[in-house]
Amino acid sequence: MSTTTASRGSGKLPRIRHGIPEVFVTIFLVMLALLIILPLFLPWMFVFKTQLEYAYHPWAIPLKLHFENFTEAWTAVQIGQGLINTLIVCIGAIACSVPASALAGYVFARYRSRATEILFYAVLIGYFVPVQMVLIPLYKMNLKIGLADSLIGLILPMAAFNIPFWTLIYRSFFQSLPGELADAARIDGAGHSGTFFLIMLPLASPATVLSCLLIFIGAWSDYLLSLIMLNNQNLFTMQLRVAQFLNAYGTDRMPRYAAAAIISAAPTVILYILGHRWIIRGTLAGALKE
Amino acid sequence: MGDIAATTGNAAAGRAAGSARGKPRDWKRTVFIALCVLPALGFLAVFMYYPIEETFRISLMHSSGLGGETWAGFDNYVRLFANPEFLAGLLHVFSWAFWSILIQLPLAFLIAFSLTFYVNKTTGPLRVVYYLANILPSAITAMLGKFVFSPNNGILSSIATKLHWTWLSNIDFFGDPKIAFWTVFIVATWTYTGFPIIYLMARIEQIPTEIREAAELDGAVGWRYAWHIVLPLVIYPMQILAVLCTVGSLKLFDLPYMLTTGGPGNATVTLGITLYRQGFINWQYGKAAAIGVVIFLLSLAFTIAQFSWQKREGDSR
Repeated sequence: MSTTTASRGSGKLPRIRHGIPEVFVTIFLVMLALLIILPLFLPWMFVFKTQLEYAYHPWAIPLKLHFENFTEAWTAVQIGQGLINTLIVCIGAIACSVPASALAGYVFARYRSRATEILFYAVLIGYFVPVQMVLIPLYKMNLKIGLADSLIGLILPMAAFNIPFWTLIYRSFFQSLPGELADAARIDGAGHSGTFFLIMLPLASPATVLSCLLIFIGAWSDYLLSLIMLNNQNLFTMQLRVAQFLNAYGTDRMPRYAAAAIISAAPTVILYILGHRWIIRGTLAGALKE
Repeated sequence: MGDIAATTGNAAAGRAAGSARGKPRDWKRTVFIALCVLPALGFLAVFMYYPIEETFRISLMHSSGLGGETWAGFDNYVRLFANPEFLAGLLHVFSWAFWSILIQLPLAFLIAFSLTFYVNKTTGPLRVVYYLANILPSAITAMLGKFVFSPNNGILSSIATKLHWTWLSNIDFFGDPKIAFWTVFIVATWTYTGFPIIYLMARIEQIPTEIREAAELDGAVGWRYAWHIVLPLVIYPMQILAVLCTVGSLKLFDLPYMLTTGGPGNATVTLGITLYRQGFINWQYGKAAAIGVVIFLLSLAFTIAQFSWQKREGDSR
């Protein structure tokens, strides 16, 4: 079930020579891939230009590298503050949702009874709730309990929306582990929590790494929930700052803006390049298991 | 399919539960279960279940940002269906879903099939590249969309001006109500098609190689193999993707909001944007909550449809 994304080995079947059609199809696919990649290089076209150069030759190859845009963006868009806020949100979302999902997923996998089965479906329902539906009450509730306009007020609902999916993943992961291990630990005298923390949780570290990675990327990229929950400029995350800049200046201040955007996109792109195998597998794990 | 393995694998746990019933050490187990489930359920209760109930309640109230709630019955809903902005949002959501299914899914199938049919050195990197646009933050995707389509200094209009293609440089990609929807749609296709591609690739790779060998012996090669053998085998995943497209359209907010804020006029308004405008610009909580209920009920309906398909699929296997 979890090995579905493993690439098909070419060893079993003698490779069929497709010749010319294969070449054409591959060229077509590579061109489509360029269509995906090339826009990502657009910001680099003018991030090293001054505003004046940009105004006259926006798409010319930059002749001289100006790094001022990065320093100016750093102060104008307050990138430092934005990065700190975004990091807090990411770490908070991970810290709130991963332990809760791991614990619940473990119980739903290994302590099956009528009651836990009902609770599992209660958690699973959350997977299908669109965040748009609960924005108004969440906002009103944050106002009431004093979490409005705070990073905590953003982190907590964000964590809640991550929990159903990761509980599901942890549950199927713990189900795939051999039950004898836990039984042996129990016989050796480990308590319920001892078995979980010392034996089972370390075995589930692939699921833990995956959840941290994907929750980080999701929290880093979040826009709608941040837009609703944060009003104070100082608390704005990177995505809010980038979007705000886009609204305020359109494409006129692009060099500086591109600098901010590159910084804000870099972590997800770098994480993806390093961990694409995991990320794709994790994304598919939710969709393929039913 | 996982459940069978789970029930056998957990027979020991189940037996333990049976033997423990009524014995004094039972409470340890119960406490452990309760403590493990509590954080997750607590989060969901406070930030999901209670807000869901509240959304339904507020949608039946005249309620605004100034405070105060008075009973409205179905007034909010009645007014919504007379509100041109909401109706535009509803229309766009469904036409968005329609065109996504008609354009993005066949495109994804074409790419996924080609990638799995011709496995060579480019296959792995190409899969990674096709999904790359999908993980970009939507603010960045919106920015790239502006770089490409912006009328005064976007790359398209710059090239068009240089080549003196006035027909192209005269197109206002974001300002023309007839074109804005398609501009947003193209940007969305660029970023969202990655998921159907990797999903269908994974499904096609599950098809046993014997089927392909048999098909080749029978002369079903190339596109005939795609059309007659592979497509019927992934028709159920395609249905799931169609549901995901539809539910995704219902939730659509980030890209159209950042690219056009729903404009010009209501040309690119979605249900998500009407909800945001009503709730957080006009501060009409009641109406916004009613839109939330509409989004919820529609996505629920499509999700249930998906599950019934799934069940039928499970029976036929």
